[in-house]
Amino acid sequence: MDFISLFASLKFIKPEITISITLLLVVIFDIIFNENKKIVWLITLFGVFIALIFTSLNLLVEGYAFSPVDGSHNFGLLTLDSFGSFFKVIVLVSTLLILYFSNNSNEIINTGKRQGEYYALMLGMLLGMLFMTSASDLIMVYLSMELLSLSSYVLAGFLKLRDRDSEASLKYLLYGAVSSAFMLFGISLIYGLTGTTNLYLINLYLQAPQINYIPFALASIMIFAGIGFKISSAPFHFWTPDVYEGAPVAITAFLSVASKAAGFALFIRLLKTGFVLRSNEQGMWILSDIFDWHSLLIFVSILTMTLGNFSALWQNNLKRMLAYSSIAHAGYMLLGVAVLSSQGVVAVLIYFFFYMLMNIGAFFVVSIIADKYNSEDIHGYDSLGYKNPWLAAAFSIFLISLTGLPPTAGFIGKLYIFIALVDSNMIAVAVIALLNTVVSLYYYIRVMKHMYLVKPAENTETFSTSPSNLVYLILLSASVLLLGIYFSPVVNLAKQCVGILGL
Amino acid sequence: MNIYDLIFYLFAIITLVSAVFVVTSKNIVHSAFNLLFTFFGVAGIYALLGADFIAVVQLLVYVGGILILLLFGVMLTNKITNVDLRTGTIHIVPAAIGVGMLWGALSAIAYKTNWIKIDSPIPNSTAPFLGRMLITDYVLVFELLGILLLIALIGAASIARREKE
Repeated sequence: MDFISLFASLKFIKPEITISITLLLVVIFDIIFNENKKIVWLITLFGVFIALIFTSLNLLVEGYAFSPVDGSHNFGLLTLDSFGSFFKVIVLVSTLLILYFSNNSNEIINTGKRQGEYYALMLGMLLGMLFMTSASDLIMVYLSMELLSLSSYVLAGFLKLRDRDSEASLKYLLYGAVSSAFMLFGISLIYGLTGTTNLYLINLYLQAPQINYIPFALASIMIFAGIGFKISSAPFHFWTPDVYEGAPVAITAFLSVASKAAGFALFIRLLKTGFVLRSNEQGMWILSDIFDWHSLLIFVSILTMTLGNFSALWQNNLKRMLAYSSIAHAGYMLLGVAVLSSQGVVAVLIYFFFYMLMNIGAFFVVSIIADKYNSEDIHGYDSLGYKNPWLAAAFSIFLISLTGLPPTAGFIGKLYIFIALVDSNMIAVAVIALLNTVVSLYYYIRVMKHMYLVKPAENTETFSTSPSNLVYLILLSASVLLLGIYFSPVVNLAKQCVGILGL
Repeated sequence: MNIYDLIFYLFAIITLVSAVFVVTSKNIVHSAFNLLFTFFGVAGIYALLGADFIAVVQLLVYVGGILILLLFGVMLTNKITNVDLRTGTIHIVPAAIGVGMLWGALSAIAYKTNWIKIDSPIPNSTAPFLGRMLITDYVLVFELLGILLLIALIGAASIARREKE
């Protein structure tokens, strides 16, 4: 038998191999250096950095990896393309940001010796996410999602001494188990209908006329239930506020950015390779008429953003508010997918890049305040503009950007989504999204009102942030501002990276 | 109805009835013992479908391993046999509607669909093919499963350890 194709596949998964080795090193060094967890942190940081270098060097590499050794067809378990690499870069960069975040968050530092487990589980999450971005076989899709889920269930309840952490972990586990059971059932239906789990072969099957509509539609909805849970879209979002509130802030930020990015990458690839018959000259996707993804996605995304934005209005806990805001942002990004064209995908890529910077930044401020006052209540932010002007300024920039006002990066992200919507004649949907943005302005500005317009009491003390935290915040907020004005590098990168390897 | 159908219904009834008892029983030891029959019934169905390897694994791992550990866990834990389990039901009407709809959709699909049929003789043993697949075409899945188990182990240890107040 010929194993050359398997060896050749190894060069496609260098970042994943790096992360796996790092994971093993973390486990070993965690045992050797029982007292000093700095080393484990450094190893993790180094490993993720190496993986990022591998990914950036091979950004435009395309190919199928792990195809059958008997050569019956060319399509494998993984598909490497620039689209997947872009999401890998997002996942890895956000991991680097979260690693610094974790190392400066009291919640994590206070766990002491358990930090080794924390970083090992985080690497497990990362590995699952990396495979999710390139999985093109339903078995790989399910397995990588389980790897991500298992690690994040534990991390969501990592601080076991608080009740709400255990609640978060259990809720996440129960909802996750149900949705992954649904997804698995959908996958088994598709296997029964087509006799294959490979997305490309499923697509070939759909091109033929002998199709059973109803079972396929049901299977599609079931698979969407599994993915919708990961990206917290509307009917499957109920876990999000509770889990985001209970989990350590660093993990909340990680879940809201990286885990969502991986879910979106998986979903777009599933849609493009599984259900799109061909693209026309304008880059619009011609879908197989077996299932009306277009209507489903528009309905779900409008529901998601409206529910997210309106629920956020009443939240006094900042973590909960940001959780609902992240649901709303998932709605905007789903709209980009619903356009069903390469232009829509470009918009989603741009949006994600900016969303990563501003959301992690916002959560970092929440973490600093939570470390100081031990609560995430909105009153902890009263007259922050007086107590710590730098922190308040940075937080304001992130909030304005999350709203989507110029001159911040969030505006550019939303702009590209709206342009894609208008270009494909979805004007009514664009108007609804715009009105949603207006609603979201209220709860973001409300925080700024507390920071600047609440008069400080007589004996209010100012406090300062550590220099390294300040540099981190300035770096993030400056890039949010700078990319709001000079955004062409990100846009060009995203335009280069829409190559989803199709049939 | 031939002999295969009869055996299938026998195993299916064993699985379903014991599964109902697992859920409704108020005694956790009874639940654990009923789970044994559920796993056994599923293993029988696997064997009937020609998946001999999976049937054996189901017996060895679930019945022989996991269930025994579960029973040990229950028996070695203080007071757990006296715990009053709550098995009440709430929201019966909406749940019945939801489950009924799902059941209707699934049974309609089961009967109306042209499932893909591949004509091939049932092999004497599936183990060698499975083994070969796992180290060639699906080697990545195999390795990734190893990492998944490692993560599960780390996670379980992390949850189980007693935390100092």
